Amino acid sequence: MTDDSHLVARALKGDRKAFEMIVRKYEQPLTSYLGRMTGEREAALDFAQEVFLKVYCSLKSYRPAYKFSTWLFTIASNHLIDHWRKKKLPTVSLDQPIDDEDGALLPQVADPGPSVVRKFELAEIRQKIERALESVPEALRELFVLRHVNEFSYEEIADIKSLPVGTVKNRVFQAKEMLRKRMEAP
Amino acid sequence: MSCPRPEDLYLYLEGELGPYKARAIEEHIESCAACREALAERRLLHEAFTSLPPFEVPPDFARSVMDSLPEPEVAQTGWLAPLLAATASLIIGLLGFNLLSGASFSDVLVATNRLFGSVAATVLPLAAKAFKIAAVLMEVASDAAEMLFSAIGAFSRSLGPQGVALALGLGCAVFLLVLFGARRLLSLGEKS
Repeated sequence: MTDDSHLVARALKGDRKAFEMIVRKYEQPLTSYLGRMTGEREAALDFAQEVFLKVYCSLKSYRPAYKFSTWLFTIASNHLIDHWRKKKLPTVSLDQPIDDEDGALLPQVADPGPSVVRKFELAEIRQKIERALESVPEALRELFVLRHVNEFSYEEIADIKSLPVGTVKNRVFQAKEMLRKRMEAP
Repeated sequence: MSCPRPEDLYLYLEGELGPYKARAIEEHIESCAACREALAERRLLHEAFTSLPPFEVPPDFARSVMDSLPEPEVAQTGWLAPLLAATASLIIGLLGFNLLSGASFSDVLVATNRLFGSVAATVLPLAAKAFKIAAVLMEVASDAAEMLFSAIGAFSRSLGPQGVALALGLGCAVFLLVLFGARRLLSLGEKS
């Protein structure tokens, strides 16, 4: 039994300290994910609190055969989808390749282009990524964040989002290329 | 090998390509300056992607989450389970008595009611008496404490500040002597 499964088992027996340990372990990765998805720190903290409440109320449905972090982020992702649905935010169809302002996003061969990113130090690049990330469609942004901020494997992301691994890889790539192009834009 | 797809460059950097494809890319970039530059650019981006800073969480966040949680169901059923068990054992006991004694069920209920009545009639007056005695003792103790404090107050007034200081010093000395004497006795006891 993993540490997480053990903590869940204790929490199910009424041990609130065990659930607090789960909260402390996942508060930062969850808030980092929700923060990138909402773009606001306060909203991310509110969402994180709601997600932990949902997790607490659904602990009985958790099966130790699955990784706890994957289950937690599935709940968080569904919570975000519900929120966007209620707010009726515009969504982007991912059935078609996503076009950038400049045209097709996905070049079929390596396009070195002008090496703009080299002009910036890593810290500056990070700042640019954070800004550019806000303009990436949620469906792509979410997969990018799960992969590179939360460091889930492609297989784990496929489980969280109920998508084929190939689709996840392709969308993470689309997000990265979109970021690259947006960073190059003056 | 023709120029690799940009997607494969990222997968190569993440270590997600198989050894055969990875080796093919490495061999290709040795002879293709454009792909070498494309890979270097994406390497820099990859480094930035994988080192984005985490969001700061307030130190009391976990506590506020815990405060917002409902009481666990286990705690709610904590009193329910013993109550159900007691009721079930009472019913089983009554049925068993009914079967063994051959008495009718209503007779058993009447007998049980009488038994509870007689127990209550014995226990309740005793509890009331014990409560009264405890109240009287409390009153006596409170009066004694009041008298003691007033006596100490009168004594200290008669001694004056220097006398009080002397009495306190003597009291401390006696206390220390008793304490160390007791410890010495205890340590002697351990040695023997």
